[in-house]
Parts: sequence; C-alpha cells; structure tokens
Amino acid sequence: MTTIDLNMVGAKGALVEAAEGKWGMVIDQDLCTGCQACVTACAMENNIAFVGEEDAGYGRSMHWIRIERFWEGHYPHVKMTHYQPMLCQQCGKAPCEPVCPAFATVHSQSEQVNVQVYNRCVGTRYCGNNCPYQVRSFNWFDYNDERINKAIATLKHQFNPDVTVRRRGIMEKCSFCIQRIHKAQDKAKSEGREVADGEFTTACAQACPADAIVFGRVDNPESLVSQLMAEGHGVQHLSELGTLPRVTYLVGGQ
Amino acid sequence: MIQKVFKWLMSPLGRVALVIAALAIVSVAMWGIAYVQSPPAQPIDFPHQRHAANQVQCLYCHPGANRGASSGLPTPSKCWGCHQQLSITQTSKLLGPLRDAIANGTPLQWVPVAQVPDFVQYNHRPHLAAGLSCENCHGDVASLLHAYENPQVMNMGWCLACHREKSAGNPELEKKLLDCATCHY
Repeated sequence: MTTIDLNMVGAKGALVEAAEGKWGMVIDQDLCTGCQACVTACAMENNIAFVGEEDAGYGRSMHWIRIERFWEGHYPHVKMTHYQPMLCQQCGKAPCEPVCPAFATVHSQSEQVNVQVYNRCVGTRYCGNNCPYQVRSFNWFDYNDERINKAIATLKHQFNPDVTVRRRGIMEKCSFCIQRIHKAQDKAKSEGREVADGEFTTACAQACPADAIVFGRVDNPESLVSQLMAEGHGVQHLSELGTLPRVTYLVGGQ
Repeated sequence: MIQKVFKWLMSPLGRVALVIAALAIVSVAMWGIAYVQSPPAQPIDFPHQRHAANQVQCLYCHPGANRGASSGLPTPSKCWGCHQQLSITQTSKLLGPLRDAIANGTPLQWVPVAQVPDFVQYNHRPHLAAGLSCENCHGDVASLLHAYENPQVMNMGWCLACHREKSAGNPELEKKLLDCATCHY
C-alpha cells in the first residue's frame, strides 16, 4: 500500500511535482548589502511600471523583488538584522494558483515555475490576497500609457521586447526571468547541447554586486545553486505552510 | 410632443428623412468596417507573388527567421542588391521610393502585417528548426499578391492545434508545447 504525503497534494487533488523542482535560487543574506541594484535591474528587465510618488503613497508600487528590513531589540538598543530580498518563491504548491477563477496563474509543466498569463487575468486580485509572501503586484492604472503616466513618454524606449507590457487591471509577479530561460534554452538547442550551469542568470542575480543571488537548476546536484543549498544553513521562508518554495535563504554562514 | 414627431415621421417627407437617416447609419458602419479591415499603407506596394515566382527564397529577404525571434524586414540596400541590375528599377514609378531611399540613405518603413499581440512571445527559429516552412503559417505567398491576403487567421486555437498534432505521443514535448509559459510571459 502506498501512502500519500498530504503535503505533496496540490489543489484539485493532483499530486504536485517532486519537491526539488527545476529552477531555483539561493540568496545569501550575509552578502546582501541592501543596495537595491536587483530591484532596479528587475524593473528594467521586466518592463515594470513606475507608478509615481502619489500612487506609491497609496501602496501601489509594483516591484517583483523588494528588500525587506527588520529590526530586533527595543529602542535605544535597536539592531538591524540582515537585509532580506523578497521575490516570488515560485512555490511548488503555490497558494495563489488554486484560487484564481480564470486559471490565469498556473504552474508551468515544462519549467516548473509559477506563471502569470496576462491575457487571461481578469484582475480579481484573489491570488495577491492568498500569497503568504505578498510578492504579487496589481496594475491599478495604465502606468505604461503616456496619457496616464507622462514619464513613460521617454521611458518606453527602453522596454524589453521579450516581456509583455502589462496593462491596467491585471496582476503581475516575478517570472524567474522566464524570457531569459527561454532564450538560453533556444540558443542551447540551436547549438545542439544542454543549457550549462551559470550560462545565463536572472536580471537580479546578474546585477547583484555582492553576488548574493545565485540562480540555476536545483534538480542538478552539480549546479552552484544545489551546492549552496546543501551547505546546511539555508532556510526556506514559510515552508511550514507546505508551499515548497524554490528560493533558499542563507543566513549565518562562515 | 412625441406624438407630433411620430406623426411627422409617418408623413411622406418624414419617411424620406427616415430612409436617409438609415442609409447614413449603414454607410458609416460600412466605412468603419472597410477602414479597420483595409491593409496598412506600405512605402512600396510590394508584390510578394512576383518575387516568389522568380524563385527568390523567403529567407533571402527575411533571414532573421532562421536565427531568432523576428524574421526581419529587408533594408533598401538588400532590395538594391538585385534591383540595381534591372533596367526597370530606373523607370518604374512603383519603385520611386526605393530609388529615393538609396539616393538619400533613408530607410523604407515597411509595416509588418503578420503580427501577434504583445502578450504573445513568438520565436521563428524553433518553428523553422522543427521543419515548418514559411507557407505553413503565412499562406502560399507565391500565389498571393500581398502578404496581408493570407487567408489564415493567426489565433491561439490554430497555434495549439498544430502544437497538439506535433507533440502527440511525446509527453516531454507535450509538456513544452502545451505550456502557457511557452508563449505567454
């Protein structure tokens, strides 16, 4: 008789993918200086809208990665803890997926990441409410429309053509730079080989001056990501919820 | 008041006015349909049929299709490579914009007609590598005078029908070809 681990059962009773997944990320919080280079690089790579000062005040900022800050102790003996870059954890059993009424956020079978299908999204924001990491952002307005956002008149010339420019009323989130994954796979396939570890990386990892972010295959034990994960001092945030996050945080290393 | 208007509309003059109003609405609607359905203005009324019939390969002018996402549109110098050898190039009225572009070093601003929406990330290379020919999607260019006359409507159902057919019986390929993230991100 086979026993089924209930933590491995996803929405609609389907067995979720094996716990290791395909693509993963390791973020070394000991190295992170909180410089926000990843946040900037991500915004450039993924055509993330600049919402402006007023809308940011309403909490409508759209970033796929953010640097979280925490403090410990009581005033005046306050000590800052490590900076914590927070992005979509690409959960193996994502809480955002089963709640979408339009099936706009689904699990990619081939890349095993959580994808947002913009043309299917109707903007119920249910996924954002159900995300324990609070990493989804909603397009409250057409921030990429010149009539709404004057600043975009010149900024639109630096849009990445490989990424959809999102419009009003849809949810968006980190895609693990799936356009780069596809590009690397396409290049490798045209040359008749497999994608090598470290051949490409996400925009945030590429921009990180401290090399605190490492991206790669978690199902390949030889990859740098797998080796860093095996070091033993890694933690996965809110893994007790059974979300099977794909991002591992390293804290307190040697 | 309304009764008065209704009575007037039933009079001979009113009936004529009704017919004119109906005609005006229909003609505006027809104009609107014709306007959105008409092909965009191109710098040169380019006959694909004639070039394909003269055995010019698609990839000669659109070599990007073999290498990457976009097939590309030819520059004036590409056209000039062949056309400078043809005497008609100097006299044809149709080729005036090409002569001007070469003389002034200005680009020919072709308007792409085979386009997918922004939320679709299409890549030519894997399709050609999978053995598809241009005609599979762009229609029989050799018999179409213009590219926009392609009878095939490029929509998702049509893409998926082919993806299903090609990946049938291969679970690994099925995963890739029927995945949302293959085209939408």
